[in-house]
Amino acid sequence: MQKTNFIWIYGLAATLIVILLPLAIFLPEETKVSTDPWENLPQHPIHTDHSSIIQGPFETGQDVTKACLKCHENAAHEVMQTPHWTWESEPYEIEGRNEPVTIGKKNQLNNFCIGIQGNWTGCTRCHIGYGWDSAEFDFSNEESVDCLACHDTSGGYVKGGAGLPVEGVDLLSSAQSVGIPTRKNCGDCHFNGGGGNAVKHGDMDSSLYYPQDDVDIHMGKNDFLCIDCHRTEDHLVTGRSISVSLDDKNQIACTDCHNNVPHQDERINSHIDAVACQTCHIPTGATRDSTKVYWDWSTAGSDDIEENAHEYLKIKGSFVYESDLIPEYYWYNGSAERYLLGDTMNPEEITSMNKPLGNIDDASAKIFPFKVHRGKQPYDTLHNYFLQPKTVGEGGYWTDFDWDQALRLGSEIAGMEYSGEYDFAETEMFWPTTHMVVPAEQALTCGHCHGEEGRMDWEALGYYGDPIDWGGRFSANR
Amino acid sequence: MPIKEKRFLRFASILLAAALLLIGFARTGQVAFAEKTGEAELEGSPLHPTFPLLDEDGENVLDTGNPVSTIETCGACHDSAFIEKHSYHANAGFDNMVPAGETLTERAWDTSTGLFGSWSPVTYRYLSPAGDEKIDLTTPEWIQVFGSRHPGGGPAFYSQSGEKLSDLAYDKDSFESNIVDPKTGELTQWDWEKSGAVEMNCFLCHITTPDNDARKKALAEGSFQWANTATLVKSEIVKENAGEFEWNADAFNEEKELKEEFLHIQDPSDNNCGLCHGHVHTKIDEPLTIKDISETEERVTLTTGQILSSQRILDSGLNLTDKESLARTWDVHSERRLKCTDCHYALNNPLYQQEGDESQPDHLLFDPRRMELGSYLERPLHQFARGDSAQSMVAPGTKNSMRTCQDCHDAQESHNWLPYVDRHINALSCESCHIPKVYAAAGMQFDWTVITTESQAQIQLRGAEGKDGVNSLINGYTPALLVRENDNGSKTLLPHNLVTTWFWVYGADERPVPLRDLELAYLQGADYTPEILAAFDANANGALDEKELRLDTEEKASLIANRLSAQGLNNPRIIGETQPYGIHHDVATDKWATQDCQVCHSENSILTQETQLSTYTPIGAKTEFTAGSNILVNGEIYTNEVGESYFKPAPAQEGLYVFGSDSVGWVDTVGLVSFIAVVLGVLLHGGLRAYANYKNPGHEIKTEKVYMYTVYERFWHWLQTAAIVILLFTGLVIHNPSKFILFNFKGVVTVHNILAAILALNAAISLIYHLVSGEIKQYIPRPRGFFDQTITQATYYLQGIFKDAEHPFEKTPQKKLNPLQQITYFGILNVFLPLQGITGIFIWGAQRFPDLANSLGGLPFLAPFHTLIAWLFGSFIVMHVYLTTTGHTPLAGIASMIIGWDEVEVHTQPEE
Repeated sequence: MQKTNFIWIYGLAATLIVILLPLAIFLPEETKVSTDPWENLPQHPIHTDHSSIIQGPFETGQDVTKACLKCHENAAHEVMQTPHWTWESEPYEIEGRNEPVTIGKKNQLNNFCIGIQGNWTGCTRCHIGYGWDSAEFDFSNEESVDCLACHDTSGGYVKGGAGLPVEGVDLLSSAQSVGIPTRKNCGDCHFNGGGGNAVKHGDMDSSLYYPQDDVDIHMGKNDFLCIDCHRTEDHLVTGRSISVSLDDKNQIACTDCHNNVPHQDERINSHIDAVACQTCHIPTGATRDSTKVYWDWSTAGSDDIEENAHEYLKIKGSFVYESDLIPEYYWYNGSAERYLLGDTMNPEEITSMNKPLGNIDDASAKIFPFKVHRGKQPYDTLHNYFLQPKTVGEGGYWTDFDWDQALRLGSEIAGMEYSGEYDFAETEMFWPTTHMVVPAEQALTCGHCHGEEGRMDWEALGYYGDPIDWGGRFSANR
Repeated sequence: MPIKEKRFLRFASILLAAALLLIGFARTGQVAFAEKTGEAELEGSPLHPTFPLLDEDGENVLDTGNPVSTIETCGACHDSAFIEKHSYHANAGFDNMVPAGETLTERAWDTSTGLFGSWSPVTYRYLSPAGDEKIDLTTPEWIQVFGSRHPGGGPAFYSQSGEKLSDLAYDKDSFESNIVDPKTGELTQWDWEKSGAVEMNCFLCHITTPDNDARKKALAEGSFQWANTATLVKSEIVKENAGEFEWNADAFNEEKELKEEFLHIQDPSDNNCGLCHGHVHTKIDEPLTIKDISETEERVTLTTGQILSSQRILDSGLNLTDKESLARTWDVHSERRLKCTDCHYALNNPLYQQEGDESQPDHLLFDPRRMELGSYLERPLHQFARGDSAQSMVAPGTKNSMRTCQDCHDAQESHNWLPYVDRHINALSCESCHIPKVYAAAGMQFDWTVITTESQAQIQLRGAEGKDGVNSLINGYTPALLVRENDNGSKTLLPHNLVTTWFWVYGADERPVPLRDLELAYLQGADYTPEILAAFDANANGALDEKELRLDTEEKASLIANRLSAQGLNNPRIIGETQPYGIHHDVATDKWATQDCQVCHSENSILTQETQLSTYTPIGAKTEFTAGSNILVNGEIYTNEVGESYFKPAPAQEGLYVFGSDSVGWVDTVGLVSFIAVVLGVLLHGGLRAYANYKNPGHEIKTEKVYMYTVYERFWHWLQTAAIVILLFTGLVIHNPSKFILFNFKGVVTVHNILAAILALNAAISLIYHLVSGEIKQYIPRPRGFFDQTITQATYYLQGIFKDAEHPFEKTPQKKLNPLQQITYFGILNVFLPLQGITGIFIWGAQRFPDLANSLGGLPFLAPFHTLIAWLFGSFIVMHVYLTTTGHTPLAGIASMIIGWDEVEVHTQPEE
């Protein structure tokens, strides 16, 4: 008798099951599977306040490094394996070349300040080491690693010639402030590539220190740090650029965080096989500060031309700067050709320093936006190769305005033969546009590429015409 | 290779070549020159050969200096006579003129349904029907006024007798030979020989930079024969100087043919269409702005607010509310690179040829035979595919010739998220959800009962704060959803703008007061007459502002009426007309389309939302919907106390019952009243019982424990209880979702359906149980003595229960129900429950078997019926729960239904 008093529990359970089971089965599930990009973000370590750990006094940067290494024993060793330290890649086997080659700021040319050899003091202020002022720099000395360049969070740490801290830097408070690299640590060098704000890249400039929402959706609205995308392990920062690398090992991709099929619109998703995310989501470069698109060294040295930082400097020659730059679009499979020091060039043609590889038939290539920097730089008219001038310091062009002397000194240091005859030839260099991703509502729409006003040169890309009429690159019409 | 295959291959390659050639004609020009020249739009088709410009005698215009004749020039290769004859754009209703008043619009002065003969509230001017005494427009003045939106040919070139207007013999009474002398109001001869007539203007639509301003100027000046030549001014083929045109010899080569760089022949681009049909903006990087919404070019934008552009709204230059959030483009088809002509194509264009002609054998899915391209280019029909919109009387011959949304899009495929998708698709046009809002100002009210000093109507726009189309803040507006009767007989909701016009008419044969007479009544030169100022200028500042210039008092209205009468206009009176303009462009993608159920399924449903018709109503005036459109106007037009007129649609009258929005008043009233009555009755009865019990505490009753309800019976009962309670609650949410905003409408509908299925299953199983076990007997009243017993039981509830009397009938496992219960449960379980189930199934089936559901009266009958029974169920539950407390203790009945054991009175007297 007594137990029947509890039968209602069974009854209730049975009733609930009969009702809830069909509901669970038939109620439409929210189809949105979680593809939250936030889930893919790296977790930052909990910050340890170093102000009570680190005791001074420090005379030099190296002293600070020694103090760091007491606890972080492996840190310098790790840093020294990375391109931030070596400024040089691992040796590559490249088709058409007999022996493996290395690429990097250390040994190759660009078409901005041309090359660092002989000009170390000026260029290596952005090296994460101390004292690289000659070819003899000791790359194996752990104490020369500059920890503060990346870890100072006081904002008071500034590097000068050969990467040494400038006069007046308070090394103790800098050292006590250390933390994970901020936008300032990265930006002080990378936003100022080419010798000044926004000069080199066209997709990075000082507006990224404290970006507005629409400058860069990640760093602005979502307050990312550089290292949120450039994930770093053992001091190896991910990310690649074809100015100093040739492959896409360690490269970063949008799909590291975002779904492979990111749009709800099938028509847009059908572009993904041929169009890089950056193409639509970074419609223009140099949106805040103008960037250099042309640099003609051949006019340098004149006293007759009026100086203006954005048009002409006696030491550098003539420039063209542009803002709201519409990128140029090329097929790009992640790697590039590279003009290497000593390669023969044709002075009649524009020499590409780092032509992106890929074409319409290369399934791994996508249409990608580039800022292209063009210019004229010195070459040896007898040997038909570009020369490495000495610009900085004693005997350098910026001191004496003597090309012959600068090229002779530079060639000696770089170990090249210089015939004594020089002229200037045209070069171009490709800078992938990949930062400053705008909010989705500012991305390109169909008409920006397709139709009368489209910005794509379809025929140059290898199509017969606008693929909206002709179909995609793998359609039957090709 | 077998001959057959060879033939097929040859045929296929010709077909392909033709298609490519056509695509090339349409597109190559754009693509090949897409490089950032900025001059891209200057490039016409690379296919079109160069040609000489000929005058009407076929002589080269360079030799004669005469105006160009498009018929001769283009006619050298294309059959220009055929084209002119097969073009509604040119014809404008000219071939289908009827006696005044006999058109579909039922306007007494309309003589056709096209631009030539049909009145428009925007322009107000009208072609006077033959025989009118007071005359507004005759043919030559019609060309001057309406030529700006007419490409020539048709009535601008031929007389109604079929001869060329330029050869017309003079007739002093003819409305073709004469024009009204503005000074006297009398007819005076028009010199056709001097003016010439307007040939169909090929250039206007087929060159990249037609000079529409120069063309309009030539027309307005009466220089008809030069209008088409003027179209070439911007192309620098001809120069204009004070009305004189001089051919530019530099534009021609040695053969006196146009040089290639001056040759910009192309398929009509959106810009060409935009010259007459509304605001078109093709420059993606240049912010869209609208200079003056009342310009001829903006006509469609003025009547509907539609703007055709691939630009994102936030990139436009318009001063729009919340513009930054408007990341959608103006029109998704434009965004996706469709051109006007992709939908509104020439009907014999082999590229777009329609399948499924009635003459096609049933088994044939695709007929590969196409008109040869050369034939098409020689005789391209200039009848263009069109839909079935509100102005359905225009170009009746091509009605519904266009591919509709669903001819290109598979809505089933893309709407699998939408519950009752068929039901929605049957009742809604795609536009209803995909044009949720129009982001521009549009005309709302044209008051022609008054005129401004520029002889314009007093215009009110909707969707804008301020009257200036450019500088005012634009809010956009939500179109009114009106039921349209489609050509195939189906009825769907479609978004519309409603444009209301107030104007004076006079005479026994109703005619609008001609503009000239309005001017005479109001104006003296460029200013108002002193009498008008005295009556209208309330603040005596010498000018009439918007609030003053309206006929809002009897005095003002009678002053104007008297003045008009004095001008010989008999019985002047004000009438109103409301014209629905369908909205089919400015389509949004899914993300911007209406997806929230409650937009329609709620008390504030947009389906019943009133639309403002006017900001004031001229004294004594009433407006009516324009006759003859395919809009089924159901609803009410009313004027509120401040004079604003509104239209409140009532789509339910067209068989659209919208859950959450519609309800039938009396059903809810009856339901609620019965529910409240039961609750009150129960409270009263219970109160009296409690009182009686307090006065006269009950005597000890002998009871015994009886196993009353089996496990299954109890399970059945409680499952049914849960299901009904949840059904009542979810039903209430569906019925009136705005009171339950926390609940997701779509989810609630699904829960309701699932619980209904559980209830039905539970009922079916229990029916079998009761039949098999014989327990069914308990529910069936035994006829013998039934009435007596019923009365006995009722008497107990009304009297005995208060006197602590014993229950008249013993409750036993074999006879659980007393006679009253028997009747009630019999009714509930065998009548109401099945009825509720059946109506529910048919409501559910309105999606799945609409014909059957409709045969039972459709949703407008089924849904209120379902609601009514639901109310009764609710009332029953209250009663039922109360009666369970009438056992020997209040909770005994409920407890017994839970544990099965009941304590029942042991009756002293034996049962009958």
